[in-house]
Amino acid sequence: MTAVEPGSFRDPSGQVFESDGRIFRTITARALADYTFVRDSGVLKRLIDSGRLVASEEVDPSILGNDARGAPIVVEHSRIPFVSYPYEWPFPALKAAALFHLDLQIDLLADGVMMSDASAYNVQFIGPRPVLIDLLSLRRYHEGEYWTGLRQFCEQFLNPLLLRAVLGVPHNQWYRGSLEGIPTAELNRLLPFHKKLSWQVMTYVVLQARLEASANDKGTADAGAIRKKGLTKASLLGILTQLRGWIAKLKPADTGKTVWGDYARNNTYTDAAEEAKCRFIAEFAQAVRPKLLWDLGCNSGNYSAVALGAGAGAAVGFDFDQKALELAFDRAVSEKLNLLPLFQDAANPSPDQGWQQAERRGIQGRRDADGLLALAFEHHLVIGRNVPLDQTIGWLTGLAPRGVIEFVPKDDPTVQRMLALREDIFDGYGVDAFTAALEARARIVRAESIADSGRRLFWYDRS
Amino acid sequence: MNRIYMALLAVPAVLLFSTQNAYAYLDPGTGSMLLQGLIGGIAGGMFAIRLYWSKLKSRFGRTPASVSTRDGEQAPTDKAR
Repeated sequence: MTAVEPGSFRDPSGQVFESDGRIFRTITARALADYTFVRDSGVLKRLIDSGRLVASEEVDPSILGNDARGAPIVVEHSRIPFVSYPYEWPFPALKAAALFHLDLQIDLLADGVMMSDASAYNVQFIGPRPVLIDLLSLRRYHEGEYWTGLRQFCEQFLNPLLLRAVLGVPHNQWYRGSLEGIPTAELNRLLPFHKKLSWQVMTYVVLQARLEASANDKGTADAGAIRKKGLTKASLLGILTQLRGWIAKLKPADTGKTVWGDYARNNTYTDAAEEAKCRFIAEFAQAVRPKLLWDLGCNSGNYSAVALGAGAGAAVGFDFDQKALELAFDRAVSEKLNLLPLFQDAANPSPDQGWQQAERRGIQGRRDADGLLALAFEHHLVIGRNVPLDQTIGWLTGLAPRGVIEFVPKDDPTVQRMLALREDIFDGYGVDAFTAALEARARIVRAESIADSGRRLFWYDRS
Repeated sequence: MNRIYMALLAVPAVLLFSTQNAYAYLDPGTGSMLLQGLIGGIAGGMFAIRLYWSKLKSRFGRTPASVSTRDGEQAPTDKAR
């Protein structure tokens, strides 16, 4: 069964297909000259060997049959463990992707190669390491050409980063509603005067927004004239390195202490309880050896790290706390963990959206984990968001065939805190109801109470 | 404000080069092209100075700046699944 990847309609240079779990890309006649240039100059191989471009191998075009539509070349790509989108990336991931894009472009110019766009969606992550997935955005550089991708780079990388670095507002929610990124004109409107006094903000936000507005007023008659003037390679490199230096220094404007950031260090567990929990998870990971683990409420990635150490292949962490995600991402980088922490609100997860609501897939449609961790998580849905316990268990067990779910009782200090200012409407909430809901869907392989916390870990298997 | 832009325009930012049309599927936007025309000269000049400076430093035995080196060559190569 061959299906077109619905997000790959923009560029007529080729299309992506999925066939029996394999990923193919057609390269059409119009893109052939650029592709062969990049391939024959050795750039393609160098990028693949250094892990910066997803592995690509030419295959017989007839493998796609009529779907290839006469494309002279078809390549097969290796699969990315989990496809993620920039509106799910925490700040350091978006920053890493931005720097990756700029470094790649600076590097490629030495080989006479230019990137035709600056789409953040063309960058994917393997663990915390960015990789380019679209070889068709590589093409021959023509002396004097402008950086076509600058506006896109600003909207999809720079502006979302500035939103957090200058204003302290995380980019995720706005970006999710505005798939092409944060428009420069809108960011310009939001910035207070004193934030505009930096010359970089003045140049790339204020000046660019003004120029865009004036160009719109005058129409695009000047466009041809500008293009004729051209840009020297030194100027192009200057702009790229200048942006790189600026972005490398961007940090979240701190928004104070967040909810979970210190949780891994100052939680309510005793050391013995923590040890028991880690042992349970290690035994689960060792026995199940999940290729891809989903860690819901991953916090700073502690338990993902334990599972990865015990035999899990890769982990994707989800949390809604920015600071925790930042810690998890930095940790994945420094400890070389195959962990990708992503922003996600379980009560309102990423939807199917974009063109025909198929361009960017929702979290349900990307669910291909074979292991699940949901530790100190369910009460945030059940108590925090009023999702019925039975539905919560149904959803969790639906995400992966095997996993570990932690039950948090009502007398737990965190639940008590959640109920401090509201009426307790959760009459049926208890370990018995939890167990019954889980047993209705899966076999309980093992259950273990964690020291004296009243919390209980359940290892389920519905396969 | 406008005076600053005019002054920037007066900088010999844009060198005369003819360029082939790069038939990209992406619209670069007139604003971003105008911006590159404005800042390109200065950015290019600064780039040349930095390159010169790093060469000078490396001549005197200091570690060279990374302006002209390839980044990411040491990137790990674990394969996608």
